[in-house]
Amino acid sequence: MIPTPLRQYTDKKDSIEVAGASVAEILGALTTQFPDLRKNLYTDEGKLRSFVNVYVNDEDIRYLDKHKTAVASTDTVTIVPSIAGGR
Amino acid sequence: MIRIDPDAWQVMLRHAEATFPNECCGAMIGSADGDAKLVRQALPLENAHIGSQATRYELRPEDLLKAEKAARSSGMDLIGIFHSHPDHDAYFSETDLKNSCPWYSFVVLSVKAGRYNHAKSFLPNMDQTAAEEEALEAPAA
Repeated sequence: MIPTPLRQYTDKKDSIEVAGASVAEILGALTTQFPDLRKNLYTDEGKLRSFVNVYVNDEDIRYLDKHKTAVASTDTVTIVPSIAGGR
Repeated sequence: MIRIDPDAWQVMLRHAEATFPNECCGAMIGSADGDAKLVRQALPLENAHIGSQATRYELRPEDLLKAEKAARSSGMDLIGIFHSHPDHDAYFSETDLKNSCPWYSFVVLSVKAGRYNHAKSFLPNMDQTAAEEEALEAPAA
């Protein structure tokens, strides 16, 4: 599932089916298909940006196996922002 | 420019005043046509920051995910985030910037002595190094 503001980089699609057995493969396939998405998700050094969380179904991959988290064909991978602040 | 409908605006103000002297936070749902955004619904969310909430807020990703799903189910989009600065002006602080996300508008509500005072909207950049002010059109409080 793609957050609304990123749909401008995915031909307006809010969900996309891509093949892959892990989160790394899924995001790799996604950003290959939609290259403009890559700069929104990754730094120039190839690290996931600090404001990007990735969920497999309802689980944050930080608490699973991070990018190596296994993904089945029925799973949903969701990009969710990380937001906080204060004066 | 971001415009906020009266009902959504009232929800935001009530939430900001009710949580005073702590910071409030929530999601703004509506539609966007390029830079023209319309907030039709405001969704108060729990401040999940552990520690003093008088100077900090944190949104649970799970709550944002629910807000995104709720928006989609009603044919709208999650287009912004709001939070309050109790007894301080509406500016985009260093803490706001370092924990922001460039995909959304960020409306900051100043609440002084428990009453809404003023608000501004900001658009942070990708590297979380700067935020430009966005024109905000909101009903009179």
